[in-house]
Amino acid sequence: MTTDIADTRNPPIVRPRRKRRIDLLPYALIAPIGLLLAAITVYPTIQAVYLSMTDASLLRLARAKFIGVQNFVRMMGDQVFLDGLWRTLRWDLAVVSLELCIALPIALFLNMNFRGRGFVRAAMMVPYITPPAVVGLVFLFMFDGNFGVVNDLLIRLGVLERGIAWMSDPAASFWIVVSAMVWYGTPLMALILLAALQTIPAELYEAAEVDGASRWAQFRSITIPHILPSILFLVLLRMIWMSNHIDMIYVMTTGGPGFTNHTEAIYSFSLTNQFQIGYASAIAVVLAAILMVLSALYVRHLARSVLAQTS
Amino acid sequence: MNAAKRRARRIRGIWTAIGAAAILLYSLGPLLWIFIASITPELKADFNQAWLSNRQVTYLPSEPTLANYGALFETVPFATYFRNSAIIATGNMVLTLVVASLGAYGFVRFKFFGRSSFLVAMLVAYTIPSVVLLVPLLVIFRAYGLNNTHLGMILAEATHSAPFVLLLMINYFSTLPRDLDEAAQVDGCSRLKVLWRIILPLSLPGLVAGGLLAFIMTWNNFLFAFLLTSTAEVKTLPVIMRQFALGEPAVWGVSAAGALVSTLPVALIFLLFQRMLMSGLAAGAVKG
Repeated sequence: MTTDIADTRNPPIVRPRRKRRIDLLPYALIAPIGLLLAAITVYPTIQAVYLSMTDASLLRLARAKFIGVQNFVRMMGDQVFLDGLWRTLRWDLAVVSLELCIALPIALFLNMNFRGRGFVRAAMMVPYITPPAVVGLVFLFMFDGNFGVVNDLLIRLGVLERGIAWMSDPAASFWIVVSAMVWYGTPLMALILLAALQTIPAELYEAAEVDGASRWAQFRSITIPHILPSILFLVLLRMIWMSNHIDMIYVMTTGGPGFTNHTEAIYSFSLTNQFQIGYASAIAVVLAAILMVLSALYVRHLARSVLAQTS
Repeated sequence: MNAAKRRARRIRGIWTAIGAAAILLYSLGPLLWIFIASITPELKADFNQAWLSNRQVTYLPSEPTLANYGALFETVPFATYFRNSAIIATGNMVLTLVVASLGAYGFVRFKFFGRSSFLVAMLVAYTIPSVVLLVPLLVIFRAYGLNNTHLGMILAEATHSAPFVLLLMINYFSTLPRDLDEAAQVDGCSRLKVLWRIILPLSLPGLVAGGLLAFIMTWNNFLFAFLLTSTAEVKTLPVIMRQFALGEPAVWGVSAAGALVSTLPVALIFLLFQRMLMSGLAAGAVKG
């Protein structure tokens, strides 16, 4: 009897024939996004690698010559590029560590129950939806030498005698761009940390309470281990994107004063603006190659979670 | 005992209020400041003593005015820039939603040869940074006449929004039970109809989140807009922010008004769809 039922569910004559034919529908479904990305991402990437081996300039694109690895050799003697490596790393570390230091307390705070939590959480997200160019402008405005609110407050508090032109000071301009970036990026980090905190089962804390564990001990041995994977993921993600970040630095400083804020991404971008696209591509390609290790970890992480979802 | 408990609760309440106030000040303070600047009437700068803080910093303008907002539309082609941002962000949202939901349906509901390779290839494409894509996109767009066009900008922005929304939709579709599709197919729905009639309606919150996040990403992006556009007919709001930052026109009140008006649409979207957007952001992995 049971075999009869199974047979009617899977008619043996129709099924095998269907299986043998290649089903084209899934390919048709992924074709639009596949072709789109091939055209706007894969093809340009190949083009970038090719351009990095030419002396192409936007002004005489048709006469670009293939010059092999000359651009890469040039980099090894280019002080702006060499210093740029350290500037990029310094920028990454400053932004990511400060973001984490501010986002974690915010996430812990928002994980508590209190009246008005929804409102505070929504307000917390505001910096993240503000366009980075606007954030840059707002921070320039606050640190303006003539009528910036920061100067004014410092003068009122008696810290300064008269205003400082913050943005023309190399160290100050770096930290001001960092604070603008941190202000913009903190909410996303806090949101993801908060999501991680909310997956910790409350029983763990209750049990620890019964065992007489202090608040600090609970934090160290329950909270931190639980959110550590999220923290590592965020650090990885932010390191990659901060290394490639242009918007905030360029809007606020154009990479200056001098070359102070020339990270590799900014250097490549300003070379592009000076039409030296061959050399600019070479720097972008080297930057991407250096970040390849981090990107590979990131892709592996994404691939794992996505493949787990879809299978 | 009871008194001690009440006291402990009150102390906790005070600390909570302080924490909440700190977060509010941190998150809203800078924007509040720019709002005050935007309603402050412009004082004439005293160029003889420019350095010695001639312009008073005004915390509470005695005669608030909306003149700066008016000047924004008169002295700068702000309305055109705003329109361009709207066209490009909307176009990008539509394009991204169509290709990403078709693709996600394919990946989530079908087994086919090369499926995981294609998926990983798209993830790799997602991690290619904009810095690498900038120059070749500029060259390619010039060759195909896409430079300084709305369509070109829509395509360029899709380099990050399309894979991002694909991930988001894969995440969303895979939470829907397969029984629904099977039931619909038994009832005679074709597989495309299943997507249209079953999957998409059920994924409405996910679609809203994905589409609006694509819109916000595009609205906010400076990089492509700066490099791939050359006339006011196509330039977007972040580009004008850079002009403001360079001090042109040199009226801070107008710049401040411009900054606020260009934040307004995304702020409104966020307020209206807060819940969906936040879960989308927490689930997806944002580029940038």
